[in-house]
Amino acid sequence: MALAKTRKRPVLLSIVTIMGFIFTVFQFGIMMMPSIRKVGLFAPALYGLLVTITFIALIGIWHMKRWGVEMLLYVAFAKIIYLSLIDELGAPGILFLVILVAGTLPFYKRMDRNL
Amino acid sequence: MLFFTLLGESFRFAMHALRTNRLRTMLSLLGVTIGIFSIIAVFSFVDSIESKVKGSVQSLGDDVIFVQKWPWSFDPEQPWWRYMLRPVPQFDELEEVQRRTTMASASAFVVHTRKTIYRESSMVENAQVLAASHSWQDVKTFEIENGRYFAEMESATGRPVVILGAVIAQALFPSTDPLGQNVKVFGRKLQVIGVFKKEGESMFGNSLDGQVVIPVRFARTVMDVNSEMLDPFIMVKAKPGVTNADLIDELAGVMRSVRKLKPEAEDNFALNETSMISSQTEVMFDSLGTFGLFIGIFSLLVGGFGIANIMFVSVRERTGQIGIQKSLGAKGWFILMQFLSESVVLCMLGGVIGVFLVWIGSLILFYTIEVDLALSLSNIVLALTMSTLIGIISGFIPSYSASQLDPVDAIRTNI
Repeated sequence: MALAKTRKRPVLLSIVTIMGFIFTVFQFGIMMMPSIRKVGLFAPALYGLLVTITFIALIGIWHMKRWGVEMLLYVAFAKIIYLSLIDELGAPGILFLVILVAGTLPFYKRMDRNL
Repeated sequence: MLFFTLLGESFRFAMHALRTNRLRTMLSLLGVTIGIFSIIAVFSFVDSIESKVKGSVQSLGDDVIFVQKWPWSFDPEQPWWRYMLRPVPQFDELEEVQRRTTMASASAFVVHTRKTIYRESSMVENAQVLAASHSWQDVKTFEIENGRYFAEMESATGRPVVILGAVIAQALFPSTDPLGQNVKVFGRKLQVIGVFKKEGESMFGNSLDGQVVIPVRFARTVMDVNSEMLDPFIMVKAKPGVTNADLIDELAGVMRSVRKLKPEAEDNFALNETSMISSQTEVMFDSLGTFGLFIGIFSLLVGGFGIANIMFVSVRERTGQIGIQKSLGAKGWFILMQFLSESVVLCMLGGVIGVFLVWIGSLILFYTIEVDLALSLSNIVLALTMSTLIGIISGFIPSYSASQLDPVDAIRTNI
């Protein structure tokens, strides 16, 4: 396919993004965990939405788009609030988000402003 | 307004693409259908069993403590023979418990055995005969549909009277009113004074439908109610506002003093509460749910990859069309929405079919083996949410690639 020209992606960013993709797929399963389902009718849906937005943000980062990093920051913040509200915030979850944000933020200035 | 018009248009494009490739559409949504079906079927099964168990546990009484020989949850560090050496609660101990407790609203001595119940030429074999002291009516929740409970005098003097469970009454008196009639148990005639309201099946076999209840003082004349073999127990109900933990603390002290246990001696009785069963079953159902979740996740993963693959094919097929649309002024997000709505519709269709299959399955189970598999609203919401999100996740990469296509290069592509 003839794709529009994109900026070259650094290796470290590729590694972080691939890790993010893998973790996000596994995180999708968490939305169906009994602990999340017990919170409320729409609690799994909300969690699933946050995971999906994380995935979309990672696609943006993969394509070297600034909106990907911005979206990731917002969703990481929302996810921390959501998980702490339902009392499910654990160290692995925070660590995962911190690695993602810390791994992508340094490349923000080299990324494309356009959609 | 323009945004919604364009959104609607991109949706129409997506629907047209799905309609023109009907066989491909059906095959690609099959993976999501199987995934949603397996997850929701397992969740519905677990939820149904869980609610049945909870109902049965609640029928035992949330605020009732059972003084017994055996605990409902064993201490693994305690050797089994220590439990064996414990005495069973005695009928005489009930009076002491009633006298000394301040936090209990009522307490009853209960013992049960299995006997054949006769009525003229008909009989019910191996029916559960429950002998209870008078205050059993204050401890246990039940309804009498026909007749009455024991009068205080009947309980105190041990009159040969009986209350029948609905199933027993139906079996022995199919066409006549059982009230005032006699049945024969333990070789003695007992007068029927009441029939319990039908309760339905219970997971722990504690439904009153297949039981008959007699006064414990009458039972003392025909059997040894303090026998180890019959495993008698005392039920103690907490006063309103008193927690089970407080009542257990008080009962432990009362039972220790009744049994004259030395301070250093271990308790030789168990104080059981229904929450012990609830917490154990909760762990079991959570594990079952998680197991089902993993099966479903892998099916969904396969389904999601299938959708992503078909979307890539779809983008490749329509590259020329995308080029024309872009050169005519279509924005990137319009192209993105067009393909994204196609994959979301595909997955949602798969999800709806999956839920429909679970519903059909639940009906088949109900009408063939009378298993009530409830498809709850939360499971339907979960299924539709999951399928929508899988549609977004698996369709976003192909859709984004399509939206980023260079119009000149795209038009040149000859497929």
